[in-house]
Amino acid sequence: MSKIAEIADLVGKGKSKLVAKAVQEALDEGCEPTAILNEGMIDAMAVVGDRFKNNEIFVPEMLVAARAMKKGVEVLKPYLATGATGAMGKLIIATVAGDLHDIGKNLVAMMIESAGFEVIDLGVDVPAEKIIECYKENEDTKIIALSALLTTTMPSLKDTVAALNMADFRSDIKVMVGGAPITQEFADEIGADGYSEDAASAATLAKKLAEA
Amino acid sequence: MIIIGEKINGSIPAVAKAIADRDAEFIKQRAKIQAEAGAAFIDCCASVEEAVEAETLKWMIDCIQEVTDVPISVDSPSADVLAQVFSYCKRPGLINSVSMEGDKADKIFPLIADTKWEVICLLSDDTGIPKCAQDRLKVFGNLMEKAKEYGISPSRMHIDPLVEMLCTSEDGIAMNEEVISTIREQYPSIHITAAVSNISFNLPVRKLINIGFTVLAMKAGLDSAILDPTNRDLLGIIYATEALMGLDDYCMEYIGAYREGLIGPVNK
Repeated sequence: MSKIAEIADLVGKGKSKLVAKAVQEALDEGCEPTAILNEGMIDAMAVVGDRFKNNEIFVPEMLVAARAMKKGVEVLKPYLATGATGAMGKLIIATVAGDLHDIGKNLVAMMIESAGFEVIDLGVDVPAEKIIECYKENEDTKIIALSALLTTTMPSLKDTVAALNMADFRSDIKVMVGGAPITQEFADEIGADGYSEDAASAATLAKKLAEA
Repeated sequence: MIIIGEKINGSIPAVAKAIADRDAEFIKQRAKIQAEAGAAFIDCCASVEEAVEAETLKWMIDCIQEVTDVPISVDSPSADVLAQVFSYCKRPGLINSVSMEGDKADKIFPLIADTKWEVICLLSDDTGIPKCAQDRLKVFGNLMEKAKEYGISPSRMHIDPLVEMLCTSEDGIAMNEEVISTIREQYPSIHITAAVSNISFNLPVRKLINIGFTVLAMKAGLDSAILDPTNRDLLGIIYATEALMGLDDYCMEYIGAYREGLIGPVNK
């Protein structure tokens, strides 16, 4: 097995310590740092995402895989050109105002980060103004991702998307939404650019939106 | 949880027959399935008369060592037999057991002092099994003094507070819980063990009692147990309880046991 295939295998299995060690060995053997990142880790996480989507693995298995990738990236970072880890661009993520749930949002953030984005996580109960302010400080942001877990905070999600749709920078960004009660129909109705039903599909969707 | 597999014991009729017939395959098979189910030690008890016990144990140990590297828990009521047989094991295991009865501890402790052998210690003495928690803890105190004298560290000791059958108990396992949690508080690194199935003698659907006991005893501080590791329900409850107690990072042990097919429905 090539060193990079070995890294991919270890990331998939969530072996943090072994991933860090294998990344160092790959570097010592002269592997391209970007190849280690893309083929060894990002692709491996995409596989993890697919397996999760297909109900083949459980949430903790996805979490430990992401944690393992993070350990690998720590080793890799000094060898990568600045910005290589966030090569897909910036993405702002938040749970909307009035909603305090963050487990799903964190999973999505983690999977999107693993897909090669630089993720700015604003946390929970975030008003639209704060998201807009954050965008203005990070004008190279490509995507804003919003989460709402409760049927009672669906109106808040709608208001937040409406506020973004009014913003003068709207044509420069894509807006994606998700959360347990959210559907594709609702996303279309409130004027979002994309919807996904789980963390793995969210990463796929973010990639698609960023490349569009 | 440190699991001591109980399936090779001459007090089980099928095992007694295999021992009498010197049916090595039978013993090997039981050793193998317990090793595969994650037993940390495989208990080996002949349950034959003392005159032939040592040679019987040697034969049984040979059978087990032929199929697995899992260390053996050498099980005999006789300290002399234990002393005679333990060195026959290829790797350090567990002495099952000593107590403060007679000179058992004095015979065994010096033999294992400078080894990596671990030892099960029952909380009984020459007065028998003390009735209340306070008296059992007194036996425990005496035992720890003796262990210190011989340089046996708490981390090599598995204290068995002696669980008696629930059906004749007046306070359920309240007394055992008190003994277990007090010991756990005093010695964080010590092991506390129990022969789980003892609790359910003479009751219907023993499995349910065994499971309930295991959960409560683990909560009190039990971290070792003599049981049948191929009992998927019991094993599953142990993994689940460890996760619930916050001892299983990301539930990966629990998920791992499921992935390995050790717990959960057989035909998934």
